[in-house]
Amino acid sequence: MTSPLAIIAILIKPIAEILILWFVFYQVLVFFEGTRAFQVLKGLIYLLAGFLIFQLLGLETINWLLRNLLGMSILGFLILFQQEIRHGLARLGQQHLFSASLEESEVVAMLDEMSASVYKLAQRKIGCLIALERETKLKTYIDSGVAIDGKVSSELIQSIFVTTSPLHDGGIIIRNDRILAAACLFPLSENINLSKIIGTRHRAALGLSEQTDAIVVMVSEETGNISIATEGRFIPVVNKERFLATLKNFLIRQK
Amino acid sequence: MIRGWLTHNLMLKIIALGLAIITWLYVQEILLAYYP
Repeated sequence: MTSPLAIIAILIKPIAEILILWFVFYQVLVFFEGTRAFQVLKGLIYLLAGFLIFQLLGLETINWLLRNLLGMSILGFLILFQQEIRHGLARLGQQHLFSASLEESEVVAMLDEMSASVYKLAQRKIGCLIALERETKLKTYIDSGVAIDGKVSSELIQSIFVTTSPLHDGGIIIRNDRILAAACLFPLSENINLSKIIGTRHRAALGLSEQTDAIVVMVSEETGNISIATEGRFIPVVNKERFLATLKNFLIRQK
Repeated sequence: MIRGWLTHNLMLKIIALGLAIITWLYVQEILLAYYP
C-alpha cells in the first residue's frame, strides 16, 4: 500500500510545475491587460487552448490547421504589437522611484503647491494637464512644449492654465520640484475601449501614462473633476487628502 | 488578505490556471511519447 507521504512526494512536482506555469501565464496576461494587444492575445489564447485540447484528443486534421494558424498568429502578434511589447519590456526593469535627488519633505512641499493649484483650477472649471516625471525621461514631450524651468508654485501653475494664457493648451511637465516646460503635446491614448464622449485632455493623460511611467494629473474643463492617470488607467479622486496620499504613494521612495 | 488577492483579477487567474494545466498535460504527453 502506498503511504500518504509517497503520494505527496509524487504529487508535489506536478503541482509545483503547474503553479510556476500559472504564475508565468498570469504575469503575461497582467502585462498586456488594458492594451490593444490584450484583445489579440485573448484570441491567441483561445487558439492555443483549442490546439492543446485537440492535440490531447488526437484530432489530427484540425490540429494541423490550428498549428499552422497559431504559428502565423504569433508572428503577426509580434509584428503588429511591437510598440506595446517594447514599452512593456522597457517598464520591466524600472523602479518606482521619484528621484534620489529630492528629500521626502521637498516632494511633499511640491505636491502641496501642485494640489493647491489643481483644486483652485477645478473650482473655477479651468482644464489642466500636469505630468509628473518618474523613471522614464519625458524629453521628447518636453521638447514639444515651451521651456520654463521654474520652481513649482500654485500661482505659476494657475497662471499657465488660465484660459487667456498662450501656454494653457497642452500639458506641463514636472521633474523633481521644477516645471520644465508648458504647452507640451502628449500622445493620445489609442485604447478602443474608451468612451466616445471622453475628451482629448483625458486621452492625452491616459496616452502619456500608457507610454511612460509618468503620473498625470488632470482637471476636466467641462465638469471640473480631478483625475490621476497612471499605467493607462484613471484612479478615482475622492477628496484632497486621498489625492495627496495617492500621489505621495507613487512619488516618494519606499524606504 | 488572501481572499482579496484571489478575487482581484479573478478571470485572468482562472484563464492562466486553465492554460497552465493544459500546457502541463500537453508537455507530459509529449514527454511520455518520447521517453516512456
